[in-house]
Amino acid sequence: MAIIQNLFKKSPFGPIVEHAKKVHECLEMIKPLMEALVYENYELIHELQARVSKLEYEADLIKHQIREDLPRRFFLPVDREELDGFLECQEKMADYAQDFAVILRIRKTKLHPHVQDKFFALVDQMYQVSGNLLTAAVELKNLAEASFGGAEARQVLSLIQGLGEEEWKADKLARSLSIDIYQLEGKIGTFDIIFYEKMLLKIGAIANEAENAGDFLRAMIIK
Amino acid sequence: MDVFILLFTGLIGFYMAWTIGANDVANSMGSAVGSKSLTIKKAIILAGICEFSGAVLVGSSVTETIRKGIVNPDMIAALPHLRDGEAAALLIIGMTAALLCSAFWLHFATWVGMPVSTTHAIVGAVAGFGVVAAGWHSVDWNKMSQIVASWFISPLAGGLVAFVLFKFISTSILGKEKPAEAVQTYAPFIVFLVVFVVTLATIYNGLNHIISGLQWLTGFTSILISVAIGLILAVIAKIWISRHLRGKDTLPIAKQLEEVEKIFVPLVIISSCSVAFAHGANDVANAVGPFAAIAHIIRHGTVEMKVGVPLPILVMGGAGIVVGLATFGYRVMATVGTQITELTPSRGVAADIATAATVLICSRLSLPVSTTHTLVGAIMGIGLARGLGGINRPVTQKIFASWLVTVPAAALLSIIFFVVGRYLFLDNVIDIVLAARR
Repeated sequence: MAIIQNLFKKSPFGPIVEHAKKVHECLEMIKPLMEALVYENYELIHELQARVSKLEYEADLIKHQIREDLPRRFFLPVDREELDGFLECQEKMADYAQDFAVILRIRKTKLHPHVQDKFFALVDQMYQVSGNLLTAAVELKNLAEASFGGAEARQVLSLIQGLGEEEWKADKLARSLSIDIYQLEGKIGTFDIIFYEKMLLKIGAIANEAENAGDFLRAMIIK
Repeated sequence: MDVFILLFTGLIGFYMAWTIGANDVANSMGSAVGSKSLTIKKAIILAGICEFSGAVLVGSSVTETIRKGIVNPDMIAALPHLRDGEAAALLIIGMTAALLCSAFWLHFATWVGMPVSTTHAIVGAVAGFGVVAAGWHSVDWNKMSQIVASWFISPLAGGLVAFVLFKFISTSILGKEKPAEAVQTYAPFIVFLVVFVVTLATIYNGLNHIISGLQWLTGFTSILISVAIGLILAVIAKIWISRHLRGKDTLPIAKQLEEVEKIFVPLVIISSCSVAFAHGANDVANAVGPFAAIAHIIRHGTVEMKVGVPLPILVMGGAGIVVGLATFGYRVMATVGTQITELTPSRGVAADIATAATVLICSRLSLPVSTTHTLVGAIMGIGLARGLGGINRPVTQKIFASWLVTVPAAALLSIIFFVVGRYLFLDNVIDIVLAARR
């Protein structure tokens, strides 16, 4: 009888993991973009931006499918608002990565050596935050299996624990980088400074959103 | 002529059993098939064996309720101004009407796409004609209120037991640092539970209607035997599980969880079989209960039903269920059963044991309940324990609302059939009854 069949719909947790992985693929383009910028390889930047755009679109498709399969009246093992919040943070991360790529594309900016190291350090620190988040997020399927309790939940919660500190380090790096950028006032063009700031803000925003996503994930587990 | 009635009603009864088997096998074996623990073919074979056993071994109590527990034959016989043999004739016509209208309603509901419970239909139908045939007092309202109460209580009980059972499974096995180690300790408990419940439900207070001379099989002895068999099988299970999982408790948690689910595969097969057994025990009555009443009256010519339900009638019902699930049930399973992938073995075990235990207890209490509703309740219980990816709540409301419609509709239909049947056939049937008395 169709009763029991209609009782269950697809669990959203598999697709959410897929979405998180796709978002991270977008983020992984940032380092190559920075390197292309250093070597002033603007064709490569163009190519990479097109790729990020496509990846972000694919992530959107996954997210739409999740939303479609999850009507409001569903009885979920996690809080619906927290799940929505988590998805939104992930989506913003992909969006910011796309924005970052566009910033590099719309103007042939040159990266001044004075700020190069700190920029790369900031990107690496951003990866610390987002990478830890990804490791936690892909555990969602196992969490569902263990019904969000026990050893598996404890493991994921401890992964999320460090996110706050890592994001704080990213913030500090961003501040220090900002100071360095403004020290270049007068030495380089104003528009260069504007674009450095844009880049910095985007990377900082990604780290921020990763931390927020971690918060939502924690709330989902604890319910 | 009496052969004609027996054949006619017997065939309808067999047909009802056929429909019950076809429609409900997906509920019993769904968790095993959906989690890919069983192929459809093997599921059908196992279901057939278990449904038949349940019907024959434990089916008599509920059949008795349908036969004479809802409409009290003595009340009909006690009516004033009845001709000789009229009480018996009224009962025959009434039970035939109930059977016919249930079969008809089953088809109508399936055609319209409504979820339908054969239990609710038959109980409504029998009560319906009883009221019209012999007035309000011919229906045992005490029993009826017990039955209706059980329709509320069985899904709740199923939900509660499933919740507790799954919480147990998730805290003591799935939630541990080393699930592969924990399952070796705790899975045997689950085996014991399933075996104990099914065995006890079957042998409690003797299998008098099958094997005579088992006076020593008292309540207390039955409990001892059930415990013993449960322990033996639990120990066997422990040995098998330990051998299977040797050295696997050093894998990462995710892998260990996979291995644990694999261990639950044979468990969910057993638990699905227990649901099929319980279903056979409770639902065979819906098909052969009315027929048992008719057969008795035609054979003995009176409405006094002191003799228990004869074994051949239960066998007939069981056979009908088996034929049903083997023919049409196969197709239902193929379309429905394979799509229930969210019910992993660990969840399936909890849902099945809760359902089987509840339905079996109700069967021993002679209460006809809906196995489907109990199963839905159990699944909700697991959802509450955060065990499922998502439950479609409106569907559950639709399911539970459907029986608000079924009972009055079946009653109404049964009344119509009864009144028409009485108008057309009363005299003929009275003749047959009187002929049977000679």
